[in-house]
Amino acid sequence: MQRSLLHLPIKRSAWALCTSKLAQITTLRSHASQASPDPEIYDVVVVGSGPVGLTLAAALGAARTTSHLKVALIEGMNLAPTRDWTPKPEYFANRIVSLIPSTVRLLKEIGAWKHIRQDRVQSYDGMQVWDGMTGARVEFDWNKLWGGKDSQTDTTIAHMVENVHLSHGLLKAIDQLALKPTLIDKTKVENIEYGQMTKEVDMRDWPIVTLSNGQKLAARLLIGADGGNSPVRAFAGIESRGWDYDRHSMVATFRIENDSMFQKFAYQRFLPSGPVAILPLPGNFANLAWSTTPEKVAHLKSLAPEDFVAMVNAAFRLSYTDIDYLHNLKSGVVEETKWRESVTEFPDAPQVPVRITEVLEGTRASFPLKMKHADKYVAERLALVGDAAHTIHPMAGQGLNSGIGDVYSLVKALSEGIMHGRDIGSSFTLEPYQAERYLPNNALLGFVDKLHTLYGFESGPLVPLRSLGVEIVNRDWFGLKRFLMSQAAKS
Amino acid sequence: MASTSTSSSISSICARCLTRSRTSQISRTSIASNHQRRPFSVLHRPPPNYPNHVPLKLPERLFLAAGSALISFLDPRRGDLIALLGETTAQPFFITRLRDTMLRNPTGRRILRDKPRITSHSLSLPYLRSLPPNTIGATYVSWLDREGVSPDTRAEVRYIDDPECAYVMQRYRECHDFYHAITGLPIVREGEIALKAFEFANTGLPMTGLSLFSTFTVKAEERRRLFGVYFPWAVRNGLKAESLLNVYWEEVLEMDVQAMRDRLGIEVPPDLRQARAEVRKRKREERERKEGRVSSVRNTEAGEAKVETQAEREEREQREIERKAMEILEQADKM
Repeated sequence: MQRSLLHLPIKRSAWALCTSKLAQITTLRSHASQASPDPEIYDVVVVGSGPVGLTLAAALGAARTTSHLKVALIEGMNLAPTRDWTPKPEYFANRIVSLIPSTVRLLKEIGAWKHIRQDRVQSYDGMQVWDGMTGARVEFDWNKLWGGKDSQTDTTIAHMVENVHLSHGLLKAIDQLALKPTLIDKTKVENIEYGQMTKEVDMRDWPIVTLSNGQKLAARLLIGADGGNSPVRAFAGIESRGWDYDRHSMVATFRIENDSMFQKFAYQRFLPSGPVAILPLPGNFANLAWSTTPEKVAHLKSLAPEDFVAMVNAAFRLSYTDIDYLHNLKSGVVEETKWRESVTEFPDAPQVPVRITEVLEGTRASFPLKMKHADKYVAERLALVGDAAHTIHPMAGQGLNSGIGDVYSLVKALSEGIMHGRDIGSSFTLEPYQAERYLPNNALLGFVDKLHTLYGFESGPLVPLRSLGVEIVNRDWFGLKRFLMSQAAKS
Repeated sequence: MASTSTSSSISSICARCLTRSRTSQISRTSIASNHQRRPFSVLHRPPPNYPNHVPLKLPERLFLAAGSALISFLDPRRGDLIALLGETTAQPFFITRLRDTMLRNPTGRRILRDKPRITSHSLSLPYLRSLPPNTIGATYVSWLDREGVSPDTRAEVRYIDDPECAYVMQRYRECHDFYHAITGLPIVREGEIALKAFEFANTGLPMTGLSLFSTFTVKAEERRRLFGVYFPWAVRNGLKAESLLNVYWEEVLEMDVQAMRDRLGIEVPPDLRQARAEVRKRKREERERKEGRVSSVRNTEAGEAKVETQAEREEREQREIERKAMEILEQADKM
């Protein structure tokens, strides 16, 4: 019963003691070994240091019960630019995330939020969402709601932060931990396999991660935070089901007209090819997220800057017929949109975003959209978080938020396991994480996917029906709107 | 005749009411700054969106549509009411769809941008007459001459709210003569019905569809011909052909008609005039045979001219007078 021997000390001793013992064993053995270098043993190996991976490392270090775990964080890219990131004035990166209040609460708890420069964070408590075909609109605007804003509660729906800024803050938080995790960057995962039984230890159910620099890491718990095409998930043989939307999301950062007289809103217009959104940034800046077909994205990228700006302004003002036609134009979009806007009726700001004036150079980029959900999040000595477990359409801005929700739940499950003296890699410890997260994530994925399908119709019986539904919400019948808004603020 | 007079009095009263309330509204807006908050009622009509525009409330629209449909069914010569029916039934969906069809097409877009109008001023009829006979312009003008109509006989659009959609309706109306020219259908009732069926399949405007009810008012024989020949032709070609609204007629006047038909994907329907003439000839021969007279050797065309009835002769003379008047007017214009 070699296996139980290895498990026993964990069950009996304090966690810190056990890790140091393990470390001792490792060092001893590394002297003894001859042929292949023995793997270094870690309690937790996190593959991937995107925002979710970094949050996980920071959360493990910050939580009292898990702060003594020996953690390794593996990243293929170079983390130095993120670590040394200094904000450029009058410039915002194109990849931004919206952090809902619960995410910010967790970031505050793990001490990352204080490293985020608040002057580069834009929070908003209102949204303008409308149908590109019928114009049916939901206004989440506290000032227009009967009874107005309750001064006691925070009504913020989300905070917009640049990805790199968030990662920078998380890295800073990690650097300030008492027991820092081992950060291995510029290194790819070459191979993951189960270990072997030697005279000292039985590693047959331990994942051994071989890195591109030859280093080997044995993981008591291997966590995949390595994105949609997760190698960790492939190693575990967990199937991830879903589909390609055949849509790409186009992002860019803009300078906009002076909008200081208006409240900051997030804008989203549902076009049949996909939603187009403008998200607020501090000052006279805004960020675009336009989901549409790959050909149209390629066209948008190929346009001259002034034509691209005209195109985006038109996307919130003109009819879908016009927008569709404008995608055929290689140039001259400015004149064409000027004419169309003179003969088309559309609401004024702040019901539509104020005009954008300039696209920041080099911020036009795109990425493909998918919906994918792993069959399960956990296996023996293995867990998946974030995009590795579920990939979502970005229209609701929930991808990172649900990933961070995973992190919170996983850390909770791990500390629970530790407090009950269980092995952190055992599925008994990990099951509660999956039980807590799978259904909410599945519901969210399904909801967003249905929304995508529902708004994909250009005509037909569902178009008036969806508009009717939207009207009912917008009229605040049965207090539906107030409920939705307070839920969004509370979440 | 009685119905005509009542209808015209009703419509004139309506138009007068509408005009009065509109003008009073305009004068009021200059005084009252809060006119936008006023509810839209007969007494508080909002200002027009374009010259000649008359904003309507739904009951008014329904009343005008029903009335014009009924009276134009009873008296199909009331072109003004058919036009009114077209305007009151096109909103809100159909005319927008037609505009979107134009917006999807580069030429259609250009038309909407330029907003050209077809009048005897914008088109030089003498120039068109000088074109080779196989061109669109020459076909159009020979058709105008043969039918004795002028491009200026088209009424202004008044009841469509969106200025751009109103232009689409105007354009459809003004190009109607080109559709006659390109399909070769005459403006006798049977030809109009056949063309309306074609337009319904091509544009989807409800008025063109409603006009098909007048199939019930034509002779049984004509109805048989419509159902047997022209409706199948209209449906097939109307759906298959490119939208006729997307043709910049002013630019293709010198183009060959057949080339244009090929481009649009329209087959020429059987010549209705010829078919009618043949039927008339056959009937006459039957009648003559019954009366026991042996028909002498006659040139068909001459025979055609001889069997002209009193009404037809009057019509032809009227047309000739009109054409002469037009020519005089054109010469006056030139001077």
